[in-house]
Amino acid sequence: MKQTFSRPKTPAWLLAAAIACCPLLFAEAPAGSPAIPRAADGKPDLSGIWQVLNPANWDIQDHQAQPGVPAGQGIVEGNEIPYQPWALAKKKENYEKREQLDTVTAKCYLPGVPRINYLGLPFQIFQDSKVITVLYEYAHANRDIYLSNAEHPKGHIDWWMGDSRGHWEGDTLVADVIDFNDQTWFDHAGNFHSDQLHVVEKYTLADHDHMNYQVTIEDPKVFTRPWNMNVVLYRRTEKNVQLLEYECYAFPLEKYYP
Amino acid sequence: MKKQRIDPLWGQAFRPAAELQPGATPQFFIPGCAGPVWPRWGSRVIRLAAILTALSVCGPVFAQEDQPQPNQRQRRREQVTPAPWPPLRLPDGQPDISGYWDPAIGGTYSLTNPSRGGVGLQDQLGIPRKKNPSRIIDPADGEIPYLPWAREKQKYIAANINEPVKEEFIDPQARCLPDGPIRATFWHTVHILQYPGYVIFNYEGNHPHRIVPLDGRPALGDSIKLWMGDSRGHWEGNTLVIDVRNNNSKSRLSNVGDFASENLHIVERYTFLDGKSMRYEARMDDPAVYTRPWTIASDFHRTHTDPTYEQWEEACHEGERNVDDSLDLSRAATAK
Repeated sequence: MKQTFSRPKTPAWLLAAAIACCPLLFAEAPAGSPAIPRAADGKPDLSGIWQVLNPANWDIQDHQAQPGVPAGQGIVEGNEIPYQPWALAKKKENYEKREQLDTVTAKCYLPGVPRINYLGLPFQIFQDSKVITVLYEYAHANRDIYLSNAEHPKGHIDWWMGDSRGHWEGDTLVADVIDFNDQTWFDHAGNFHSDQLHVVEKYTLADHDHMNYQVTIEDPKVFTRPWNMNVVLYRRTEKNVQLLEYECYAFPLEKYYP
Repeated sequence: MKKQRIDPLWGQAFRPAAELQPGATPQFFIPGCAGPVWPRWGSRVIRLAAILTALSVCGPVFAQEDQPQPNQRQRRREQVTPAPWPPLRLPDGQPDISGYWDPAIGGTYSLTNPSRGGVGLQDQLGIPRKKNPSRIIDPADGEIPYLPWAREKQKYIAANINEPVKEEFIDPQARCLPDGPIRATFWHTVHILQYPGYVIFNYEGNHPHRIVPLDGRPALGDSIKLWMGDSRGHWEGNTLVIDVRNNNSKSRLSNVGDFASENLHIVERYTFLDGKSMRYEARMDDPAVYTRPWTIASDFHRTHTDPTYEQWEEACHEGERNVDDSLDLSRAATAK
């Protein structure tokens, strides 16, 4: 026997109201903004060349301008870094001597994580389902965020750029980074850490050309509690844009070669 | 990192015999030859004869600089299944050749007498060593065809590297400067990654990288010179062809002072022969330094085939401590 189904009738006025009021229901990026690109495995595709626009590399907290240093609104949530009392004194000492002690500006050493990402030079993300490879213009730095092998190796290892293990939580790439030495600073202003630094990074595409980069810092030797930083990464969209080089430790030596 | 057993002469990871397909014909890696030899005859005598013949035909590997230590040679050789060929294709059509590759003889001490390890010290101490075949296949004499002034410069550098009293005598590699495309190819393992529209090189020695777009975009303008040059690539069948311009050439080409200028134009050809072998040839063109273009070449083979292998951090510049000391010592010794 043929069955007939009676469909519930949605009033046209209700449909119109829903469409007018709630564009987010339809899960599209705001009008005028290209949709989030997706990789073959369905994850957001973070591939591309990215760069910050803020001067956090100079000082991750609110600061005014100095010669060569633009003023900046801080990237630290709450603008306060919860140092232990001894560490706050050390930070102030670092600040006084920053021109000699900041190994990035003084020696062109690797800047660690997360500073490499807001250093102000571009970097290129290459993504597949096993590993996210990031190549940086600064001093040919590179990081591999391993997805297929989630275990950190047996530590402790004193690396400049740490060991990164990642996984997806919905559309956010979460990277867990440990195995740091204590030689890097978070910025030029002397904000520092110990070798117990533990960084959790979260990369979320806001739309095709903007990525929200949130970092949680934990270091029980230096801070009284974890704290966060938030940064926007901007996609470089110029035609034929590519990474170049910033081999800063070569600058005083170039004239002797070839 | 998971420890893996490496075939000492071929650089490939062993796979336990249990992983092989049942009924697979055993194969023997004959040192010095490309590819395995498949003795299909049952007799042990005939297999031994085949091995001895192959050894005499394929060259005196054991006489070369970088032969394995005796205890490694005694390790039982397990069987490795070759990768399938023709290659798998990536979604963008590239043959999948990603992974780690080693040259037949690594090391950048010299191009005309390639040798790995502390050969400079050997030479200083007067310890004789066998000459390896030049990596230069054209011209036929295996020498770099320098213009006269350039040959004098190379000899001047080579004469002073053992007691460097000037900065220019310090090898740029000792300063952890990026090696340039040619030198990086021969120093340590070549790590190749592939992404849609790109081939990436992330060399194991000091990790300089090269990003090679395959989309035919225009070259950079002439006034940008880069340590690793600027690369534009395309595939011709199973050969990756890379045009490299914008070389600053500051890393030189070897310890013994071989060099090019910032006019250097390189055309590389990476021909992938099967799942585990590759032939590399690079045409070097620099009319400011050479009388004619010349070609450097080597066979390469896969290495680090364990899929859990990871290339870990190498912070060369951060760890470098000795170069200024060697300058001071040489200057003090010369002043006496």
